[in-house]
Parts: sequence; structure tokens; C-alpha cells
Amino acid sequence: MSEVALRISNVGMRFGGLWALSEVSFDVERGSVLGLIGPNGSGKTTLMNVISGVYKPTAGEVTYGGKRIADVATHDVCHLGIARTFQIVKPFASLSVRENVAVGAMYGRYGAKRSTRASFERAQELLEVVGLARVAERPASDLTIPDRKRLEVAKALALDPDVLLLDEVMAGLNATEVEEALDLLRSVNARGVTLIVVEHLMKAIVSISTSIVVLAEGRKIAQGAPADVLGSPQVIEAYLGSRWVKRQEQLAVIEAERIEAARLQPPEAGA
Amino acid sequence: MNPATLKRIGLGGITGNPIAFAVVLALMALLLAIPLTHNGYIELVFRNILMYAAMAYGWNLIGGYTGYVSFGNVAFFGIGAYCSAILATHGVDNLLLYVLLAMAVSAVFAAIVGFPVLRLKGHYFAIATLGVALAVTDIIANLDALGGTGGLALHQVDEAHFSIYYYAMWLVALGSMLGTYFIARSKLGYAFVAIRENEDAAAVLGISATRYKIVAWTIGAMMAGAAGAVFAPANGFIDPSITFAIDSNVFPIAMTILGGIGTVAGPFIGALLLAGANELLQRFFVKAHTLFFGAMIVLIVLLLPRGLVWLFGLRGGARAWLKSLSVYKA
Repeated sequence: MSEVALRISNVGMRFGGLWALSEVSFDVERGSVLGLIGPNGSGKTTLMNVISGVYKPTAGEVTYGGKRIADVATHDVCHLGIARTFQIVKPFASLSVRENVAVGAMYGRYGAKRSTRASFERAQELLEVVGLARVAERPASDLTIPDRKRLEVAKALALDPDVLLLDEVMAGLNATEVEEALDLLRSVNARGVTLIVVEHLMKAIVSISTSIVVLAEGRKIAQGAPADVLGSPQVIEAYLGSRWVKRQEQLAVIEAERIEAARLQPPEAGA
Repeated sequence: MNPATLKRIGLGGITGNPIAFAVVLALMALLLAIPLTHNGYIELVFRNILMYAAMAYGWNLIGGYTGYVSFGNVAFFGIGAYCSAILATHGVDNLLLYVLLAMAVSAVFAAIVGFPVLRLKGHYFAIATLGVALAVTDIIANLDALGGTGGLALHQVDEAHFSIYYYAMWLVALGSMLGTYFIARSKLGYAFVAIRENEDAAAVLGISATRYKIVAWTIGAMMAGAAGAVFAPANGFIDPSITFAIDSNVFPIAMTILGGIGTVAGPFIGALLLAGANELLQRFFVKAHTLFFGAMIVLIVLLLPRGLVWLFGLRGGARAWLKSLSVYKA
């Protein structure tokens, strides 16, 4: 039996006349890695914003440990143990890389108990974990995009979260860097942190997730183990369009007929 | 505020360039010797420099570190001055009490006004703070108990001890400077800068923007209030037009920007240069001094967009400086 960390129930989010999310429900088990996928514009980032308290949902609710996130101020969500990264990275440009991470350590979950010095020490540890120790003293505005993504992860980790929401932290990384990032996420997860990962790289998602939720046009269209979900016709349709699915169905029928025909024909020699 | 002007490249850490800070501390030590000249005029000029420096430090916390450009800080200076005047008319003749009451009243007023005003951003915040300053001016001008437009006279110490006002102002300026230094290095300083750089990202890291904006604004108000509390008895007389003068509102902002916004050395360097230049120009060009003064501000903003403190961190001479200008404009 695993414990539910985060419960998303019937969440709807409307912007003007557009429902960016509607009737989205799922549970995230403590200690698991949930992959959240969907085509562009399917509502992944909106859902991240609802979970992290940046948006208050128009309908439904997100509960964490029995507490409604919508009732908690954005700056207090991290004190409950939920941290996030931004898809569009938001470093404090004039601060050094280490200072950026230290801010998280100062004001995050255990920040009240940390001195300024201890926050900087914690920041240095995390920079080593994510591989940014070499640029610790540089202004954050100097970083390359992959390094800015690493900085986002380090800032989120500095909050000492139980649940970490990662919004496309692997976009723009090369194959080696993706492997490194996956190793990092696995080690974070191994320490008991529940991960919710939004990513376009299917290989990465499949290799790290314990379960996957698929969004399309703001609705949940599939949920389950990675292999099952990716084989689902609805998911394929959402990603590749209905014509492709129809063609695949026709091919499947032809294949089935061929097999059936082969089965009906008596074998000539012993099988 | 343009983020590029706030960029800290070449400015050093969160407190600014350490050499610039050391230079400023040395200059402060030298300023202790000014009363030894026994020249009332020179003492007045430098007391004004120290007064503007304290107000500039107050503005720098909210406008520089936190990134909320306020046009209302003169209200706190005025409230401080009137606190002294009220105590003086009730027979209290203690400079320390004046300063303490002024800081307390300015802080309470700032916290109360800050709550609604700091919910606004950018231009709206700037306009609202200007409104606060004008409202306070008009309220005081219409209160007969505070002398109305006629003002209030304060009892002054005798000639022989007059430098006490200078030393008091020196302490207020030093306190504002060191206060800024230690606040900037503390957790508070990082919260202010995080809010300036990106309020959404700050919130996700657990920083309540409303709370820390009010803190920055309130501490800044205490600095301006303390300066006002010393100004009133030193001047011997206050009325709304002296206390809430447009100069007192705009000078500290111009000084901070010229010296180096969001640094510890900047406000003092700006105050020394601008107040000093203003005084000299007034002596040599009795009528046209504001023209030269304005031209000087425009030139410095164009040529040193990051403020004078930036020069302390400049490496590579004139070429690097020219390059920085083209980078800034791009």
C-alpha cells in the first residue's frame, strides 16, 4: 500500500473563454515519479502552476497532506514541502549562481532555522550535486541555457522539498547531459522525494517514470504504467493525429487477416 | 527600473564594490573633522550632504535593493522633522529623543501606508507614493496645531555648541550606511534583491513579497525620519514648504542613481558629488545654476549608467568603459 502524496481532483482552469484544464484528476503516490506528458498547449505547465499555487484553480482542488493548495499563499507552498522549477527559467540575474541557490536555502522549508552562512554552505553542496560548482561565483545572467536549467533544479532542491515539480528541465540538453540529468533525478528520488516530471523527451520520461499521465487539450486522456500508456491509441492519436491512427488501424486489420489466414491453413510440416 | 542599470557586473557583491565602501568609510571619518574649521557655512554644506546621504540610503533600500521606485520618501523626512518640532514645543530639548520618536512614528506611518501602496507595481507605485507625499504635506499645512503654513520655530542650542547638530547628522548618515551594509549582507538583503529581480521566482522560493517590501520601505522611512528629526532643530524653523521641498524628494533619488543604485557606497558618493556640485554652482552661477546642475545629471546618467561606484570595479580602462556603454544601449 502506498500513500497518496498529492491529490488532484477535478481541476479546471479557465483563462477568459478558454478552459486550459478541465476535470483533471489523479493521485501521486509518495516516493513515485510521475511523468506528465502531452502535446504543446495541452495544459502541462498550467497544471504545474496550479499545483505550485501560482494559479488558483477555477474548479476542483489540489490537496497535499489533506491541505488545499489554493488556500495556501504561493510563498508558503514551498514551506509545505512542494518545490518547482520554471520552464522559462527565472534566475535572479544580478546575483551570483551560489547566491541564487542560497536564497532558496534561506527562505525555503528549513530556511528559518538556517543562518546566512549555513545557507551558503547548503547552496555550495547543491551546486556540486547539479554540477554547477565551477561557475558558483559568476552572475546568473552569464549562464548558458543548460546551466540555467541546472540552476533551476538547484534552487528547487534548496527548498528541501518532499515533492519536486520539474518543468522541462531537460529541454535543450544533449544526450550525455540528459543521462546526467536522469541520474541526478534518480538520486533525488532515491532520497524519498516524489517527482512530477514534465518533459517532451519520451525516452527520458519512459526511463524515469513509475507512472505517466497524458494530457491533451486540457483533459486527462490516459494514465498508467509507461509502456501501457504509450501504446494506447488515444495517446497516439493526440500526438500523431487521427489519420495516422486510422492508417495504423488499417495496417493492424491487414496484419490480423494475414495471421488468421495463416492459422486457417493447415501446417505442412509438424510445428 | 531598467534591469540593465541594476546589473551588478563590475559592482561587486550584494553590498557593492568593497573598495568603494572602504573609500566611503574613510571619507566619513574625514568628515568628522569638518566642525574643526569653525566655518559655519562649510559646516552647513556638509551637514546637508550628510542629511541627503541618509535620505538617499533610505530611498536605496526600497528603490535600489527592492526595485520599487518611490517618490514619497520626503513624507518620512517631514514627519521626522515635525516630530522634533512637536517635542520642542512641549519643552523637550533632547536630540536623541527627537530622533527616536521620529524613527518610531515614521516606521508606523510607513507600515500602515505601505500595506495598500506596496500592492501596486511600477508606475502605479511611483504615482501612489507621490500622492502620499503630497497628502502628508497638505494635511500638515492645514493643521493649526502644527503651525499650518506658518510653520513652527524650534529652540536651538547656543552658538558654542552648534556643531552638535552636525555630529548628530553625521551619526544618522553613518547609521544609515552601516545599516544598509548589514541589511544587504543578511537574509533580508537577499529577499529584497530577489523581489527586485523576479517577484514570481521569489515567491516560489518562499519569499512573501508584500512582507519584505514593507520591511524595506519601513526601514528606509526610519532613515529619512531620523534625518528630518535632526534637520528641524538644526534649521531652527520648519514649515511645509521647507520640509517637503521638491529638492528633498528628488535629490536623494538622483544621488542614489548617480552614485550607484543597490550598492552601499553609491548613495553617499552621489550625495557628496551632487550636493557639493549644487552648492558650488549656486556660488558661481547665481541664476543659471540649475541649468548646469541638470546638464550634469544628464551627462552622468548617459556616460555612467550604472553609477559612479561602477568605476571602482572597472577593469580595462577607457576601452572597457566605451564597450560597456554600447552593451548598455544594445
